Amino acid sequence: MGSVVIKGRFPGRRRLLVVVMRNAGRYLFQGALRNWLRNLGGTAPALGSMTLLLLLSGLVGMSGFAMRNLAVSEAHDASLLHVYLRDDAADDQITALRARIEADHRVASVGYTTKAEALARAQRRPGLPELVDATDSNPFPASLDVQVKQVSDVGAIDALVRDDPAVDPGYPTSYDRGAYQRIQQVMLGAAIAGAAFLLLLGFVAVTVTANSIRSAIHARRDEVTIMQLVGAPRWMVRGPFVIEGALTGGLAGLLAGIVTLLISLALIAAGAGSFAQVAPGVTVEVAVVAALLVFAVGIALGSGSSLFSLRRHLES
Amino acid sequence: MGVTRSYGSRVAVEDIHLGLDPGELVFLVGPSGAGKTTLLKLINREIRPTCGEVWVDGMPAHELSAAKVAELRRRVGVVFQDYKLLPRLTALENVAFALQVTDLRISDEEARDRGLDALEAVGLGDRGDAFPHQLSGGQQQRVAVARAVVSQPPLLIADEPTGNLDVETAWQITDLLEDIANFGTTVLVATHNVEIVKRMQRRVLTLVDGRLVRDQPAGRVGRLAWAAWS
Repeated sequence: MGSVVIKGRFPGRRRLLVVVMRNAGRYLFQGALRNWLRNLGGTAPALGSMTLLLLLSGLVGMSGFAMRNLAVSEAHDASLLHVYLRDDAADDQITALRARIEADHRVASVGYTTKAEALARAQRRPGLPELVDATDSNPFPASLDVQVKQVSDVGAIDALVRDDPAVDPGYPTSYDRGAYQRIQQVMLGAAIAGAAFLLLLGFVAVTVTANSIRSAIHARRDEVTIMQLVGAPRWMVRGPFVIEGALTGGLAGLLAGIVTLLISLALIAAGAGSFAQVAPGVTVEVAVVAALLVFAVGIALGSGSSLFSLRRHLES
Repeated sequence: MGVTRSYGSRVAVEDIHLGLDPGELVFLVGPSGAGKTTLLKLINREIRPTCGEVWVDGMPAHELSAAKVAELRRRVGVVFQDYKLLPRLTALENVAFALQVTDLRISDEEARDRGLDALEAVGLGDRGDAFPHQLSGGQQQRVAVARAVVSQPPLLIADEPTGNLDVETAWQITDLLEDIANFGTTVLVATHNVEIVKRMQRRVLTLVDGRLVRDQPAGRVGRLAWAAWS
């Protein structure tokens, strides 16, 4: 041998940190970015399927959020019973009815809505202003608004009041037997269908991404073999592939997040008042949070798919 | 109980008892399929033994978890017949790469200095900037040796390191391996090159059908046992 190889001394703590950061940047991030760009063609199917999955996840998530708000609203509405009063009902008849209702232990509170207030409320609801304008008189009755403690007691309160002389015999109350349960069933069905659809798409996206990482592993087999044989730690060997997966997922999440945000903003802007009824609670802030979540899920999904592939194809 | 490794019903190495001393240069010979590469893979923990124990520099290679394998491999330099250099890196970068991916604390300057030292040690101090395709087979193998010893492992294993080289270059590589052993590193060389094994007069292990049939001490000249089967 011409000379002896002597191990050098390690630098100071601050410089050591700089050295570690520089080496990590070069071998983990820079290497991953270079290979990811080189294999972009092979990554395209994974990118496409993941973008589609995340976009649909974002939109389904927004729909789910709106449906949850709707369910809360429906639960509240279902326990609020409107008792419609005859137009010619005398004040003492109304007072007597109100007193009878308030005396019932199943009732939380009772409010009173005049005909004018009913008309004003109707005018704020989508589609009803045209109906109101079509007639000269006020078609909306005054009502006692009964907040029942338990949804299950609404039917009993309805039976208690519907034959009262102060109550409109043609359309006595707002009670609709089974309406709340029907809404709950529809929502449950929609949630199950949405979850199954997303699971299927998720499986496809994870499989396609894992395959693209497998291709990347095979393309860099020599480099990986050398790293393993010289004793590079496992995270050093696997890290670049995980980052490649995160890049794919992150880009897919970014694209899907932007599209989700744009669609939500467009719907909010176009729908204005009626949209708030169709998708209650969906605001600009909610849309931004949803877009950020889609982006974060993309990174997690890409990294996770990559790890899944590494476990199968890169054991030492 | 010695070390045994089976692949299904086929036994690759069977009941091997073996110990190597520091600074020893040992040749591992035998016909193709005798189990030489399997034995090297067992030492480097590329595979686990079916039964038996493999200890490398105090580490139990036979029971190491996957997370600990890297630690063992930093104690074992490896040289292959086909060099396994990264074509997009220069000779110096290939050596420095091996240093830095095993220890991120090594700066570029230190990696360069130690890489150049290693290349000088193998006689390639002036070819650090050359890419593998610009080097001859012998020079590429020297770079591979430099990469294997740059972190000063206590053990160097070489699988047919002269298999792709002409006679003169094969002798140069063998001399290099001998120099490395003289500096205290244990060197285990699997080879088919009978001429080199005979003339070096070092310890010779002979494997036939997965069994260690002969362990000839250094300084003894004898007929190579496996020649009868080859």
